[in-house]
Amino acid sequence: MLNMIKVELTKLRKRKMTWILLVVLAAFFCIMVFAAYGITESPPEHMPEESVGELRSLLQFPDATGLIFSTARQIGTLLMIILVASAVGNEYGWGTIRQVLIRRGNRYKYIIAKLVAFIIAAAIGLVISLIIGFVLVSITSNLLGSINWDFITSSYVGEFFRMFGWTLFSLLPYILLAFFFAFLGRSALAGIGGGLGLYFIESIVVVILSNAGGWLAKIPHYLIGPNADVLVPSIEMQGGPFASSGDAPSTLWAAMAVLIYSVVLLGISLWMFKKRDITA
Amino acid sequence: MSASNGIIVKTKNLTKHFGHIVAVDDLSIEVHKGEAFGFLGPNGSGKSTTMGMILGLIAPTSGSAEVFGLEAQHNLPSILPRVGAVMETPGLYPYLSGRDNLKVFARLSDHISDKRIDEVLDLVEMSSRAKDKFSNYSMGMKQRLAIACALLHNPELIIMDEPTNGLDPAGMKEIRELIIELSKQGKTIFLNSHLLHEVEQVCERVAIIKKGKIVVQGLVKELVKAGDVLQIKVNEPDKAMAILGGQKWISSVNKEGDYILLGVKADKAVDVSALLAKDGIFAAEIKAKENSLEKFFLEQTEEEANA
Ligand SMILES: Nc1ncnc2c1ncn2[C@@H]1O[C@H](COP(=O)(O)OP(=O)(O)OP(=O)(O)O)[C@@H](O)[C@H]1O
Ligand SMILES: [Mg+2]
Repeated sequence: MLNMIKVELTKLRKRKMTWILLVVLAAFFCIMVFAAYGITESPPEHMPEESVGELRSLLQFPDATGLIFSTARQIGTLLMIILVASAVGNEYGWGTIRQVLIRRGNRYKYIIAKLVAFIIAAAIGLVISLIIGFVLVSITSNLLGSINWDFITSSYVGEFFRMFGWTLFSLLPYILLAFFFAFLGRSALAGIGGGLGLYFIESIVVVILSNAGGWLAKIPHYLIGPNADVLVPSIEMQGGPFASSGDAPSTLWAAMAVLIYSVVLLGISLWMFKKRDITA
Repeated sequence: MSASNGIIVKTKNLTKHFGHIVAVDDLSIEVHKGEAFGFLGPNGSGKSTTMGMILGLIAPTSGSAEVFGLEAQHNLPSILPRVGAVMETPGLYPYLSGRDNLKVFARLSDHISDKRIDEVLDLVEMSSRAKDKFSNYSMGMKQRLAIACALLHNPELIIMDEPTNGLDPAGMKEIRELIIELSKQGKTIFLNSHLLHEVEQVCERVAIIKKGKIVVQGLVKELVKAGDVLQIKVNEPDKAMAILGGQKWISSVNKEGDYILLGVKADKAVDVSALLAKDGIFAAEIKAKENSLEKFFLEQTEEEANA
């Protein structure tokens, strides 16, 4: 099993795509942080002074930590869907899936090894995001004043690791969504289309429903995105759907929802993969 | 490991339906230890599907496949480490080098050393290109690397699905020689092919499959034996039979429809017609009777030509 996980990691590491996605990640962080900094420097006329102040504090520690994690979760979700869908789907396209399965014959192990490798890749990606984020915010902190590391207290470190865990955890259902669609359609395209498609449809539906009010506004509680948002709050969310309705699910609810989605998606993928013929 | 009585692969009434298509139909074959077995059939006859079921990639609709005496579907972890397979299309990672591909697959088996990787690369003559990306290989190189990959763990049974597909004549020859060499080393070979002469060159026993069903099976030597029966058509068959029946050098004389079948080598055709001509009998037709292998293949090509 350990060998299979190592093999999956090697395959990811040697792929150009992995590195391209990392570059996209880094570029996204740079653009976002420097664009935000640009706004604080010369704010648009209609922008209220307090919003500019909020933005300033987001570009300095400790508030920046939340910004870094939420950005890592959002961009990470998209990039992981692409990475996972390609890594799963291409095995069909290249015909390598048969080569792998005729070595061992245990299909469950193959799926689990892949999944573990993706989680490890996501964790590494998250660490890299944090490093990039911290470097960038150190720069903006210096530009906006002087940097002060006093915020690093033991409670901050505890909070930091809690956020790390939640961020990784909230990527899980999306990893499994891409996983599921790539297996279902036996292709990278199916995984990317299904994964990203649902992700975007979900975000739109959530906005519409939250504004609809009544029992409709409760539906987002049963979707993935809003629950992931509870675990790692998006920065925009402070004025977002739940803020207005004042009706966000509890952390426990959110964690359970994310867990249930992950388990169900994994279960269906395993069941489907176990049964299906591998032809062509 | 198991009491398989020298039978390495055995299918019992193996059947596979894809929707309304019957890809493999009640197929029962046996492959013996150490032999090179040819599984011969035209396109779409169910060769790859049968191979998929033997390797546990495809679940049979009914019937079963046994490998090393174990039912395949439920014993893959014990069976597969002893099997090497070359698939129809050489499916390896395009972005990895030849050597890295082998490394990746070596890790999935137990205890394969780097030395072994060098050995198989040498065997298929790919050492000099081992550093290049798989996607940059020619078709023949890809095929050879896939064979190297199948041999990594030194399997007892080697299953190949049209391994010479897409190769030039020289490449085909090399691969066939390699298969013969492996067979000499005592490996059991299961070779899917749609080329009669390939199976003739490489295999001892053959099964011919058409539309999922076995048409003939037997020793290649016997099925291919040609020219030992001469088939003639004459104006006075009864008189001709009486004359020919009295000849010592003709081992048998039989009537089959309009034809008379003679147990004699094809090169005696001149002697036969000279003999009959003496009595004023003329042969309208005289030729070597096609053996079953060729006959089957002729029918096949005719069908394809008409299609
Ligand atoms: N996944 C599938 N879904 C539907 N039909 C299939 C599938 N795989 C194979 N078939 C059908 O099953 C039949 C047998 O196909 P198979 O690939 O086993 O033939 P083959 O003998 O290997 O042919 P070839 O020489 O072209 O490789 C064909 O009619 C094919 O169309
Ligand atoms: Mg085939």
